[in-house]
Amino acid sequence: MNEKSGSLIDSLERQGVSRRTFMKYCATLASLMALPPAVGRAFAEALAKATRPSVIWLSFQECTGCTESLTRSHTPTLESLIFDSISLDYHHTLQAAAGTAAEAAREAAMKLNWGKYLLVVDGSVPMKDGGVYSTIAGVSNHDMLMDTVKGAAAVVAVGTCAAFGGLPKAQPNPTGAVAISDLVKDKPVVNVSGCPPIPVVMTGVLAHFLAFGSLPELDKLGRPLAFYGETIHDRCYRRPFYDQGKFAKTFDDEGARQGWCLFELGCKGPVTYNSCATVKWNDGTSFPIESGHGCLGCSEPDFWDAGGFYRALSLPANPLHVAATAVEVGAVVGVGVALANRAGKSAAKAGHETATLADLEK
Amino acid sequence: MSLGDIPIQLEVGGLTGSAPAVLREIAYLLERLTRYGEAGSIDLHGLPLSPADRRWLLDQLGRGEIEIALEIGGGSRIVETAYPGVWWVAHDNEQGVRTSEFIEVTLIPDLVPAHPDDVESGLKNLKSRISDLS
Repeated sequence: MNEKSGSLIDSLERQGVSRRTFMKYCATLASLMALPPAVGRAFAEALAKATRPSVIWLSFQECTGCTESLTRSHTPTLESLIFDSISLDYHHTLQAAAGTAAEAAREAAMKLNWGKYLLVVDGSVPMKDGGVYSTIAGVSNHDMLMDTVKGAAAVVAVGTCAAFGGLPKAQPNPTGAVAISDLVKDKPVVNVSGCPPIPVVMTGVLAHFLAFGSLPELDKLGRPLAFYGETIHDRCYRRPFYDQGKFAKTFDDEGARQGWCLFELGCKGPVTYNSCATVKWNDGTSFPIESGHGCLGCSEPDFWDAGGFYRALSLPANPLHVAATAVEVGAVVGVGVALANRAGKSAAKAGHETATLADLEK
Repeated sequence: MSLGDIPIQLEVGGLTGSAPAVLREIAYLLERLTRYGEAGSIDLHGLPLSPADRRWLLDQLGRGEIEIALEIGGGSRIVETAYPGVWWVAHDNEQGVRTSEFIEVTLIPDLVPAHPDDVESGLKNLKSRISDLS
């Protein structure tokens, strides 16, 4: 066994990934993470030498969509190859072991890598009625989290459920669901929110931790600033239409066909911080707005209770924090939208005309 | 029907005024390369360049003598510009989507030289092949 054995580059080489491919990937990842190109080179060097980290992955109240997002792709990508290179010592969905053997694997990995392993959590934690609504091997999610976090170097809360409570926390929150950061106070917690999150964000956090031994810079909600530093609206290719006041009124009108802004159809882009508009989905193919549907705001806290996916942000009763940009336009557009909605509803009632979704929600 | 067939018309506008600033930064980096031997790089992905800006920049930089095509997890192209030491580097993923783009100001772009570790393991493989011959 030579001195390179156990390093990430060594592991990738064994999988047929050349150093140049790895360097190219690092250059792209560093660019996405807004690292200066010079730092990007150091990033590639450090990452190549990094040893495989032990990762313990706990799944609580979740739908497994986050795991699907991170592990599935149409072709093998470097995200998946790097993901394969970590020592994933415990993951309900992916591991072969079950029952007592699975729990023994978690305990063994904790003992062997005490103080060094990364704890990844997807799903929220039910607190009501003693946490009985979600248990694993007879242990409540709360107790398993608090036991496993003791020896972790850091915690990554993957997906909006783990980051902010997500769907399980939606009103009336029958299980008393809480976010991971509500419970873990003595370890660094990174929130990789999204329903599901963009795979490269997870890889970026992991790569940063491996290369620099630290977590990337975070925003006020604990999300990596490089990926959540701007709103969808800031980087949306339909933004020029917003600036020109050109809005689609229904999903099939002339404005929609012309690719006008989806603000009035409920797009939450102006208050949603994520990088869908730049990184995109499905191996860089597109993102929801490019497919003609507004942003749901899935990387923001309480997006599920934001008053309706097709309700324009400028309308009242919107629990999501409305950013300054949206407030500005709200003053102008909001009145118009509200009036249009009201008028549309009346007109639809009177003449049995097709009403927009916004009409229906008003 | 492909994504390109969806009739969304973008009014992307013309030159934004950003491209000449990039040209000046290239000149600055080139000066550092000649004076101190320091390589530099500009990440085009992070700059608010319109397609017109990009075309203008490409026109200004022109083409040099070398063009390198790499097939490394998707296509990559390293093109020397008309200014020796200034390279346009573009990376695509396996689906042909552009993932990153840089202007590198250096004698040889990072991706081109073989890494010493790789040379060493290549030598080991070659020696093993030679010993198999006998």
